[in-house]
Amino acid sequence: MADYAPVDLAADNLVTFELNGRTVSAPAGTMLVDAAYAAGVEIPIFCYEPRLGPPIGACRMCLVEIEGMRGLQTACSTPVTEDMVVRTNSPMAKDAQDGVLEMLLAQHPLDCPVCDKGGECPLQDRTFKFGPGKSRFIEPKRHFPKPIELSSRIALDRERCISCFRCVRFSQDVAQDGQLTMQERGARSEITTFTGDAYEARFSGNITDICPVGALTSIPYRFVARPWDITNTPSVCGSCPVGCNTELTTRDGELKRITGRDTPNVAVEEGWLCDKGRWGYDIAMSPNRLSAPVVREAVGDRTVSIEDGVAAAASLLTGRRVGILLGGAVTLEEAGIALDLATNGTLDNAVVARLGVASGNCAPVRAATGAQLGDIDAADLVVIVGGDPAAQQPIVELRVRKARRFGARVIGCGARPHALESLGDFTRTAPGHLADGMMGLADAISNAARPVVLWDEADLASDPGAIAALTALLAASPHATQLMLGADVNGVGLSALGVSTTGLFEAIAADEVDAVICVHADPLEAAGSIAWQAVFDGFRGPVIAIATYASAMTERADLVLPALTMWEQEGTLVSMTHRAQRLRPGAAGPAQAAAGWELLIAIAHHLGHPPAYRTAASAFTHTVASHPAFFGMTTDLIGTDGVVIGAWPADDVSPAAIVADPDHLVLVATRDTFGDDMTARSHALRTAVSAPVLRMHPATAQALWLNEHDHAVLISDVGSSSALPVLCDARVAEGLIVGPLGAPGSPIEGALSRNQHQAIVRVERT
Amino acid sequence: MSVQDQIKGFGITFRTMLQKPLTLGYPEVKTPVFPRFRGRHQLWRYDNGLEKCVGCSLCVAACPADCIRVVAEENTQEHRVSAGERYARIYEINMSRCIFCGYCEVACPFDAITLEHSYELSERERDLMVYTKDMLLTPAPKQPPLRTEGQRV
Ligand code: SF4
Ligand code: SF4
Ligand code: SF4
Ligand code: SF4
Ligand code: FES
Repeated sequence: MADYAPVDLAADNLVTFELNGRTVSAPAGTMLVDAAYAAGVEIPIFCYEPRLGPPIGACRMCLVEIEGMRGLQTACSTPVTEDMVVRTNSPMAKDAQDGVLEMLLAQHPLDCPVCDKGGECPLQDRTFKFGPGKSRFIEPKRHFPKPIELSSRIALDRERCISCFRCVRFSQDVAQDGQLTMQERGARSEITTFTGDAYEARFSGNITDICPVGALTSIPYRFVARPWDITNTPSVCGSCPVGCNTELTTRDGELKRITGRDTPNVAVEEGWLCDKGRWGYDIAMSPNRLSAPVVREAVGDRTVSIEDGVAAAASLLTGRRVGILLGGAVTLEEAGIALDLATNGTLDNAVVARLGVASGNCAPVRAATGAQLGDIDAADLVVIVGGDPAAQQPIVELRVRKARRFGARVIGCGARPHALESLGDFTRTAPGHLADGMMGLADAISNAARPVVLWDEADLASDPGAIAALTALLAASPHATQLMLGADVNGVGLSALGVSTTGLFEAIAADEVDAVICVHADPLEAAGSIAWQAVFDGFRGPVIAIATYASAMTERADLVLPALTMWEQEGTLVSMTHRAQRLRPGAAGPAQAAAGWELLIAIAHHLGHPPAYRTAASAFTHTVASHPAFFGMTTDLIGTDGVVIGAWPADDVSPAAIVADPDHLVLVATRDTFGDDMTARSHALRTAVSAPVLRMHPATAQALWLNEHDHAVLISDVGSSSALPVLCDARVAEGLIVGPLGAPGSPIEGALSRNQHQAIVRVERT
Repeated sequence: MSVQDQIKGFGITFRTMLQKPLTLGYPEVKTPVFPRFRGRHQLWRYDNGLEKCVGCSLCVAACPADCIRVVAEENTQEHRVSAGERYARIYEINMSRCIFCGYCEVACPFDAITLEHSYELSERERDLMVYTKDMLLTPAPKQPPLRTEGQRV
């Protein structure tokens, strides 16, 4: 991890001081370790980690000599001042470094050969670089039973802990889950949870990244590889619309680990990942992963080679009017190729549409100055309008908590209760009445110096009043910036390409297409599944599913072409903050599967229209050239950190407004990242899964004659949900039901309309 | 060519005929090697039968020919293979790439691997030159049968 904070040497408050006889400068207030690092002098550290908040000086590794101060000072907690004279290599400082390392190693086992940190261990590296080179310690060391499970995903080896408190500070200050603590003292100190239970938290994996020794290691990665056996590839996470920057660890062509990057992307995730992004990759090896093309015929299913599968797809499409349905996580390349095939004569006038939330009506809000997640750090006011960021866009939670730690005020309004509400003042609004809640926020926003407004895409899209109110609020405050809490992984990218959410459904219903290709899209498990089911029941033409996992659509399809997952393929995703970032492959994937873009290109070749591009990179170049939001963009420009895309004309349709009234109940669907189908299939995350429930106010439940744990179905005018247990939660607004979107078996999707996450429902007990 | 030259040439022939031959009747008779000769590798066990190798891959890191492959796994209570927390589930050396430098032996923190005196490393197929763990590992020692309580021998 990047241990030292970046230093802005162009700042205007530079102070000049002497470091090992050289004159160097750094902004006033910079910690000495960072200033020295920027000047090319490494002061060894263990406990210092700027992302964890103010330094605590726990390990004493960073002792340096400062003229005029008695004894040695910890460089991690001493800010630089004008004319300071610092020596990091004087005999006294060297002696202190030797001494501290010798003391740390006195109780540290000689475990390097069996330790997963070995080879990428700060303790090893710094002992090698700054240590005494020889141990005088011959007495027996402390012994604890070897690794214990801090949780089902984290192994704790207490003998190796150097009591740096990084993990404790992460839990207490960054994630604020309040679980980890240091128990006992001296040689007996050990990391544990307050209660002694497993450390179950959504960001728990980050402590394995920041532990400077091998005390906290990942269980799924236990003894899997050593640093010289692996290759690391920078990529991004496609599990939610945030788009955290990740690093994929590959050994022998298989994905073995995901970590935050060594150089975190400060504008996005700052190096932290949620446990889903870190450990959820094992679903690529789950039993319902598709690994060979299947041709479905009257006599039964036939497994064929990928070449024959593509040929079969081409023959099914020949001479037919085609519709292409793209899922919310489809990459820019795949969408670009689909659009190209529809217009260049390969699939004549194919209808291309996407699954996901339609939010074209939010364009006025989007047009206001946009913020990146990193900008939340500097905000003095964080406003959250609607949504449930902690569940739907997990890493946003850490950013808002950080801003709060820095003194920002957190306010907001919304229909759903969420984890961030405890940070400030929130008003509960009825669905469709977000504007009421926003009235109370206007003063705070206009008085703030740097307000950032986080707004939920799905909530605002079905609440036209809220769009108008928020647009006015943003226009009234010249400093205000906005950040969308998006609904679909690549929703921004797809709508910037002009892919609409409508058109295909209507075309199938009107018999205007005779063949459908679903690319990473399952309409039978998406919002409006009942309506989709009905049109597909009446559809006689062939359906081709390009998909990674078995689902309702791959069961229905006449031809299934297995595709690669986001960890195995190249591509570009645009995050909810309009940041285009690159997926890079970290695993090979099944032999009889291919990337979605590759399959589409191969089908075009078989149809006798070889496209002008052959690789993902050239498909990207071809795609960006014809869409204004991406003009001038190249893969080089995106680089490892991503780049914000330009504006695009909003031509997307908007969903119907959902307005609560006393006679009707409103279902608001929340996609809990840890409650969806993907998490449910992950072995590593088995203890992190949240169960699908219908959350409602006790009074609402009572009015419906429902008790907690009773099962109920929701019935709307488009369809009904499956039965789900009821959970009473007094924080939910009365008349509101919060349901789990994307849960295993898609229980509530049937009650929702297409492209919408809210619905007016009636409840029936089962 | 003069007669003198011929006499000179045959002189060597006859002189050599009277000397003791240098060739050995390999494979019945083998050239002795020096004590520190570096030949075929061997993986060692402790006296109790547990493998010394913990699958740490340090030999892999040290190997200049990149010819060792180690995949480790965790020892469990029921299945204890090595003396450490982990053991080498796969340990392979590609003998056709090895340059017998002995760096693996130097790198090993447990003296688990040494280069021994055997130099007969030829196979009929290239793939067979990848020596697997069962080929490299010392056979498990014959344990004297343990007496269980109350049992008479
Ligand atoms: S924590 Fe580092 S120094 Fe300690 S045993 Fe592990 S690799 Fe070695
Ligand atoms: S477990 Fe690791 S991070 Fe936590 S205090 Fe010990 S050494 Fe530090
Ligand atoms: S002897 Fe040298 S080349 Fe051969 S396996 Fe060992 S380290 Fe590698
Ligand atoms: S032979 Fe030695 S160095 Fe190689 S993996 Fe085994 S223990 Fe480690
Ligand atoms: S790094 Fe300064 S005390 Fe730990």
